Amino acid sequence: MTFDPVTALADVRRGMIPAYIYNDEEVFRLERERLFSRAWVFVAHESELPEPGDYVVRRVLDDSFIVARDEQGTVRVMFNMCLHRGMQVCRAELGNASHFRCPYHAWTYRNDGRLAGLPFHVDAYGGEDGFAKRGERLLPAPSMDTYRGFVFISLDPNAPPLPEYLGDFAFYLDLYARQSPAGLEFRGPQRWRVKANWKIGAENFAGDSYHTPHTHASVVDIGLFREPKANKRKEGALYFAGPGAGTTYKLPPGDFAEKLRYVGYPGEMIERMGALWSPQQRMLVEDDGFMVSAATLFPNLSFVHNWPQIDEAGTVAPFISVRQWQPVSQNETEVLSWFAVDGAAPESFKRDSYKAYLMCFGSSGMFEQDDVENWVSITEMAGGSMAHRFNLNSRMGLTSAGEPITPPMTAFSGPGTARQGFGEFNQRHWLSMWLDHLETAPPATERLDLGART
Amino acid sequence: MTLVRYSDPDHLDVHQFLVEEAALLDRQDHAGWLDLLTDDIRYLMPVRVATARGAGFDTLPDMGHFDEDLYSLRKRVDRFATDHAWTEDPPSRTRHFVTNVRTFRAAGGELRAESSLLLFRSRGDNREADLLSAGREDVLRRVDGALRLARRRVLVDETVLRTQNLAIFL
Repeated sequence: MTFDPVTALADVRRGMIPAYIYNDEEVFRLERERLFSRAWVFVAHESELPEPGDYVVRRVLDDSFIVARDEQGTVRVMFNMCLHRGMQVCRAELGNASHFRCPYHAWTYRNDGRLAGLPFHVDAYGGEDGFAKRGERLLPAPSMDTYRGFVFISLDPNAPPLPEYLGDFAFYLDLYARQSPAGLEFRGPQRWRVKANWKIGAENFAGDSYHTPHTHASVVDIGLFREPKANKRKEGALYFAGPGAGTTYKLPPGDFAEKLRYVGYPGEMIERMGALWSPQQRMLVEDDGFMVSAATLFPNLSFVHNWPQIDEAGTVAPFISVRQWQPVSQNETEVLSWFAVDGAAPESFKRDSYKAYLMCFGSSGMFEQDDVENWVSITEMAGGSMAHRFNLNSRMGLTSAGEPITPPMTAFSGPGTARQGFGEFNQRHWLSMWLDHLETAPPATERLDLGART
Repeated sequence: MTLVRYSDPDHLDVHQFLVEEAALLDRQDHAGWLDLLTDDIRYLMPVRVATARGAGFDTLPDMGHFDEDLYSLRKRVDRFATDHAWTEDPPSRTRHFVTNVRTFRAAGGELRAESSLLLFRSRGDNREADLLSAGREDVLRRVDGALRLARRRVLVDETVLRTQNLAIFL
């Protein structure tokens, strides 16, 4: 059964989801060719590369890239293939190196990617004429940019500038990433593979507050996290802005400091947030009373922020996790999950926040354990014939005539569109962007000869 | 630290402890498993990373899959005991194969144990089963005459885990 984008266009945009998109070879091929070929995809955070020579190796689907900080301190992203016969230059996943030496024929690259040397250049190649080595470097990622230390690449050399792409979502990203001028410190990632389609987690984090009370009932039962009861979740606001979308919790009454103290932030961190955040960001917390929780930046980078109780004394500790749903196949995803904490936070806070993260999310997290079971099961059910015979109803929040049941919120200081209560607005927003990409031909790229004199 | 001979009662006790622990876990007697732990238990499973041979490390220093104290382990066990831990309902069928047990006598009467673990995990009917391989480095202490686990460091043998979650203990 082949995927017909024209039919799916009408269906997905009216909130009706062909069930097989969560486990289909043709859909995956289109995603590879038309979505991941042009989208801005996260590869690393600069805090993972504190020293010159530090590197991590990350992927965009099947393409491996070395993300390294060079000797001058510049972060670069380079395709991990030797310019000679295509050997994988770096087979470690992280480390520190001044140079990368290919184990095949000993071609050597500086950590900024420049080809430093190759054996017998004059004898074997006749020097520059045979292989123009001067200025050659490992292929840079076609587009690369950073925001708040988040390193993104695009396989499209003509990708729109990253700040333009991020648009209004930057406001929300900053609530996670800009708690102080120091910015975030990333730890990890934990990496594990789940037999689930990558889109399910991305959609869930974008806007699924509806699942929290039931999927995560057990964490309420054990007193881990006070918030996820159904009536409280309904008070939260859902927002979408630019390429991102997320969920929030409603906070109890109080001023800015009281609200953040409720979430578990100490005074010194609250002061820094108060000083750094814009008036609208402060108003979102203080006047509107919302705290960001889960979010997804299209296509596959998600965030979560919760504040569980981490000890017998009932200490509340907030944590931030950043995660990427790295597609492996139509029915398998590698999750890369980082713990992130503000660099200026006191050591005791970082320790408590890390504990909170491990208890809730990640490979062993008590929330995440039940999420993954759901997504694996959906994927399994979506892989057969029956999934081609119907559309899943993702119209929560709309009448049959397509009108929103509740109007957008007016008392919401963040950009974009926000609604209080349950609804699948954010998932529809995400899927709409997904379909935009699948309908667009892949970017044009040039095929170049390596080492040829021009 | 001195290696304890297989014939030594301390080694026999350690080996028996590990086998009994595995039996508790495979019966999903998590409350019974908690009783085997000291109050100051630290249960750590660092993230493994593929680093160059000369790098000098192959675990992340500040990130684990588990990094638990008694409180967090008890919460995990309490959660399994609720009716709402969906990921383990139906439960996984696990089998902890514990082998290569080596016992060492350390200072202060503590016993160190190293062991290899092969954990088979099967869920549902259609799904492929997982095999997790790991080494464990344990510190065991006698409390009222019985051995208890005071510290465990699990060195899992994969850098990318091939199991959907760690709703199981190693």
